[in-house]
Amino acid sequence: MGQQARMIEFSGVNKWFGPLHVLQDISLTVGKGEVVVVCGPSGSGKSTLIRCVNGLEPFEKGRLVVDGTDLSNRRALRALRMEVGFVFQSFNLYPHKTALENVTLAPIHVRGLSRAEAEARGRALLEKVGLGDRMGNYPHQLSGGQQQRVAIARSLCMQPKVMLFDEPTSALDPEMINEVLDVMVGLAREGMTMMVVTHEMGFARKVADRVIFMDHGAIVETAPPETFFTAPVHARTRDFLGKILHH
Amino acid sequence: MLGGLNTRVMLEYLPEIWQGFLSTLWLSAAGFLGAMALGVLACALAIQPLRWLRAPAVAYVDVIRATPLLAQLYFLYFGLPRLGIVLPEMLIGIIALSLNSGAYMAEIIRSGILSIPRGQVEAGMSTGLSYLQRMRLIVLPQALRATVSPVIGQTIVLVKDSSLLSLISVVELTRAGQRIAIDRFMPVEGLVATALGYLVLYYALKSAAGAWSARNALPGRG
Ligand SMILES: Nc1ncnc2c1ncn2[C@@H]1O[C@H](COP(=O)(O)OP(=O)(O)OP(=O)(O)O)[C@@H](O)[C@H]1O
Ligand SMILES: [Mg+2]
Repeated sequence: MGQQARMIEFSGVNKWFGPLHVLQDISLTVGKGEVVVVCGPSGSGKSTLIRCVNGLEPFEKGRLVVDGTDLSNRRALRALRMEVGFVFQSFNLYPHKTALENVTLAPIHVRGLSRAEAEARGRALLEKVGLGDRMGNYPHQLSGGQQQRVAIARSLCMQPKVMLFDEPTSALDPEMINEVLDVMVGLAREGMTMMVVTHEMGFARKVADRVIFMDHGAIVETAPPETFFTAPVHARTRDFLGKILHH
Repeated sequence: MLGGLNTRVMLEYLPEIWQGFLSTLWLSAAGFLGAMALGVLACALAIQPLRWLRAPAVAYVDVIRATPLLAQLYFLYFGLPRLGIVLPEMLIGIIALSLNSGAYMAEIIRSGILSIPRGQVEAGMSTGLSYLQRMRLIVLPQALRATVSPVIGQTIVLVKDSSLLSLISVVELTRAGQRIAIDRFMPVEGLVATALGYLVLYYALKSAAGAWSARNALPGRG
């Protein structure tokens, strides 16, 4: 992988919550256009890992470079966040704003787009995620799956170079999971660089370039999906797969 | 008992009661403005990260909430002259009301701000919004909306608390009622006249609160 192609690069990243060593010597490179799925048991540090990528979590040791910006430079953080979208498990839409207003807020105030430009962009994105008829609705008038699609459109409206997803479907009723995954699959196929924490192994099989298994704050195994699901090397990975695949 | 009310005397004192009513109204309005200013300031200091700026705001809120308004009023009334500060009773009264309600307002505004889920703030951060933009566009519009009803509630308390200013000889509604009691030995008539004045103010504030929440419930909800 050439220098040019690196989008996210962890080198020896360590993080502690008090005595708890939540990230242990993480080294990981994600190339431009690559889709990496992160899985692992609860508490293994998956959220903490991807929250580091846009500076939502600081870390104590090591180096993390995203899109050429070193995360230790807290002053560069705002500019970096404009290029890195983040989708949360709990959507986190702004309840006092309509779907369209949720989507256009940052483009107007951060990118400096005119309202008309931002709305044109926002409408196109809401159409794209299948919510063309819901633009004027407030979050509480939308189902979970619809809210999560608005949240994805909100991130995309900043035209980011990287998208991070932290268990985007695990707060959803089963019948709504696919409508969100479909949007993510489309995004992956368009060449978006993505880090996705999820246990949706169907999604991983379909679009992931690599699957990462984390346990106790460390990366235990990294492999392309075919190998990862059929011939995992580590016993802990096999255990974990046994648990989630039988559900 | 109320059947035997001497309405003739009450009517005779109507001008005094009316003056007292206006005086209570304007003392309360001034106290409210002072309390909001102090409340916003104390709250802003209490939630910002610098400890040495937080400490005085927290101490102010604690001291006020721990002590009775009457004590605070007398403290200013007798204490300020000893510092060589001589102010009209009316002004001392307004300062006491502002200081007192300001501490409660600060707590009301603070809990409004803290009621906004952290995730929304993180969503704002993740799209590059600055601290001030997150406050202005995400946190405050919702926090202030959540704050209006309790602020009106505290204002109702403030109006009633202003009756204590009668004790430092400020002429307001309670004091005006006492005149009927003292001049004519008709305490019940005085109290009823006073109570009617407070009732008017109470219902005005209560209907303001009702009208506000009917108009500003989260759009589309309820
Ligand atoms: N703010 C915090 N303060 C202290 N400990 C924390 C904090 N956030 C997370 N932790 C702890 O760090 C560890 C890793 O948490 P993290 O949320 O990254 O796990 P996760 O793999 O995302 O788990 P889950 O699948 O449950 O979301 C856990 O033990 C968690 O309890
Ligand atoms: Mg998590």
